[in-house]
Amino acid sequence: MDVAKIGVRLAAGVGVAWGAATLTFLAVQITPGDPAYAIVGGPEANPSPEVIAQVRAEYGFDQPLLVQYVRYLGRLAVGDLGTSYRLQSPVTQVLGEQIGGTVQLAGVAALLAAVLAVVVAVFTARRGPVVRGGATSIELFLASSPSFWLGILLLSVFSYALHWLPSVGNADGRALVLPALTLALPIAAVLSQVLRSSLEEVLEQPFITTARARGLSDAAVRVRHGLRHSLIPLATMTGFVVGGLLGGTVIVESLFTRQGLGRTLLAAVNAKDMPVVLGVVLLSAVVYVVVNLVVDLLYPVLDPRLKTVTATEARETVTANEGTETTETEEVSA
Amino acid sequence: MTTRRRIAALTLATALLAGLGACAAEPGGSPAADTKPVAGGTLRVGENADEPTLLDPHQLSTTNTTTLLRPIFDTLVWQNTDGSFAGGLADSWDVSPDGLEYTFHLREGVTFHDGSPWNAAGLKANFEHIIDPATKSPLAASYIAPYRSSEVVDEYTLKVTLATPYSAFLNVLAQTYLSIVSPKQIVEAPETIAEHPIGSGPYKFHKWVKGESISLVRNEDYAWAPKEAKNQGAPYLDGITFTFVPEDAVRYNGLLADDFDIIEWTPPQNVAQIEKKEGFSFTSTDRPGHPFSLWLNSERAPFDDVAVRQAFVASIDRKDIVDTVSFGQWEVSNGYITPVTPDYAENASAIDFDPDRANELLDEAGWTGRDSQGYRTKNGERLTAFLPHTGTVAQTTQIIELAQAAAKKVGFDVQIQLVSTQEATDRAAVGDYDLTSGIWTTNTADVLWIRYSSDNITTPERRGQNGSYTRDDELDGLLDSARQTTDEAERASLYEQAQERLVELAPAVPLYVRPDLVSHSDRVGGVTFESAYGALWFQDTWLAAE
Repeated sequence: MDVAKIGVRLAAGVGVAWGAATLTFLAVQITPGDPAYAIVGGPEANPSPEVIAQVRAEYGFDQPLLVQYVRYLGRLAVGDLGTSYRLQSPVTQVLGEQIGGTVQLAGVAALLAAVLAVVVAVFTARRGPVVRGGATSIELFLASSPSFWLGILLLSVFSYALHWLPSVGNADGRALVLPALTLALPIAAVLSQVLRSSLEEVLEQPFITTARARGLSDAAVRVRHGLRHSLIPLATMTGFVVGGLLGGTVIVESLFTRQGLGRTLLAAVNAKDMPVVLGVVLLSAVVYVVVNLVVDLLYPVLDPRLKTVTATEARETVTANEGTETTETEEVSA
Repeated sequence: MTTRRRIAALTLATALLAGLGACAAEPGGSPAADTKPVAGGTLRVGENADEPTLLDPHQLSTTNTTTLLRPIFDTLVWQNTDGSFAGGLADSWDVSPDGLEYTFHLREGVTFHDGSPWNAAGLKANFEHIIDPATKSPLAASYIAPYRSSEVVDEYTLKVTLATPYSAFLNVLAQTYLSIVSPKQIVEAPETIAEHPIGSGPYKFHKWVKGESISLVRNEDYAWAPKEAKNQGAPYLDGITFTFVPEDAVRYNGLLADDFDIIEWTPPQNVAQIEKKEGFSFTSTDRPGHPFSLWLNSERAPFDDVAVRQAFVASIDRKDIVDTVSFGQWEVSNGYITPVTPDYAENASAIDFDPDRANELLDEAGWTGRDSQGYRTKNGERLTAFLPHTGTVAQTTQIIELAQAAAKKVGFDVQIQLVSTQEATDRAAVGDYDLTSGIWTTNTADVLWIRYSSDNITTPERRGQNGSYTRDDELDGLLDSARQTTDEAERASLYEQAQERLVELAPAVPLYVRPDLVSHSDRVGGVTFESAYGALWFQDTWLAAE
């Protein structure tokens, strides 16, 4: 994948962002209701006509729609996401304050999920029915648990009954354990199912037999040969992982009373704070575009056979040929 | 974890979830009830998800504001528990006979957290900050709408002139929404109030972790507490941390697990449990103002007929509904203001649950037909009332459904329409509903003017709060006179007549007095409430050592 292709990808990403921004702008216009009342609103408010007029002028609601749209795009182009209706401060500042907690939570959860998935898959692939069956049932259970319920379960056991971990806040590392687990477990369960099935296919390949014949230990075969071949299907799961993490934070941050983008998004949606909703939507779109780009760039690294083909072709090749060929590189590296 | 242990953990968790399990939190330390206050410790307070969007009291209108900002600020006037008014940052005041001039004599020797002094110019700056449209005040500005100007008489005397007499002026000045902010901050950097508020109160603002918590620290210099406080000096606690916990179960169990020392918004279904729990206590206070109610739109059929309104009100067993929804924790409301509101009329006629009377009234009003589903009809039209509802508060949904079932028994077809908040707001603006629900908490019977004066009916220019579209000359006269009188006895009498008149007009089904439900560990002593809103107040609060 050369520079030109990366450029095309990035341009497409900008297109996606523009589309998301325009759709959100239109959605705000179509949604009934006067945003001025959302700003000085709430059922307990009683704003005077002067206050409402002030708000309309300050936020430019008194301007024609087209003028509002052009101004809005102009601001977006220079990285200004507007002013939150609810918090009355710049959206970029709001997101800046909240992103740290979410990155920390999602990062730890992603790491936990990856480690758990790899460890469980490597140790349970092609094992006896008790180990393998046990693992798959637990995975099925976790993968189908709603994170709200799972979180309450973890809280009940580790906070309320055993008093091992705090139930609120993100004051220290201990407070991160339960929310990260809540977020990671369902993702880990799905990843480890995918990884195990792909690992099991690889382990039946002739080159594995060759490797064993050369006297490699079972562990070495699984980790050095099996795992490396199984990573490609896992990489294609990245979109799912990112989606799971971003979506999951909405529930997990609220449940565990943590600062973060998910909780901010929830509050913004409830209060019809469209600039913040839009900010989070755009940020998520950018994260998706970047993550997918990075994954595309990683395919040739994970599988050197793909060095000369494009990412899209790579995906097709992988899907078509998954685990059906032995590779020279693998033999050599062993 | 083996499967067996997993099942054991699951069983345990399920039991806990069902509220059956013993969440065995060891009571920490000695019960505070009979011991003397001690200094020190940081009080951890669990609140609900309603975090303020900014921290300028003049820009806020939410319930939690009253608990969070009261420690940072003082108010000009203090409302005593008995409803009378005492000095806050004003020692005393004189009111001119025509009710248009208030001369405030300010307390001397008060300093704000930034070291700036308190004086008449500072009070003037506060009034001007509140009414400045740039402040975008959602509530405080309209509470002092009659304010016209003020004049500094001397360092500690300010003469305020009103455009019209306003008997609730002192009442609203006691509310946290009208807190006194550092004049230096208002003049030099008003935009910083939202992020770092500076007041003169017993605690200073310390830190705000947005989306999570707000913490305060003790103001060592505090020596101007209202007379009603037992502690006249600096507060006992080193600090207070308010955490915004969206989930009821997490807030309640967090108290039991010692993540919090005290919580507001105790889930009503947990009150009976916490009352019995060793090492914990429960206390509550009723809030003043208009009770939670269903308002009837008298602008259009069928509620344009007073007999139909009276029938609807009489058809609903209010006590039964409130008891069911609140697990017996809320008081049913027997009038159009709550009993702790100044000028509440104890002797106003009762609002009776009387389905027989409701049927009679409907018969007399001509709703004599019945259709195939048992609803009443008149000239072929069914007796239908539309109720747009957002469904965001589970208890409100429950109340509405129970009211729907009760009204059906006398032949009303109440149609609940689930709508978005925006749609509800829009329909409210144009009066496109027959029934609507809500509450209005404030420490004055002037709430009746806000909700029922024909002056407050929405017009194209101005959105008003008279959602029942009540237009009654007699009531308007009473409420206007009560606003204008400077005689307390006369005011009380006028408000009593107004409350009596409302029972006849039947503009709403008053349902419950919304209390502040507080649970706390017995390590917490001196749990008290301020009366201007019915919010926790921390001047006398202390924490026993572990």
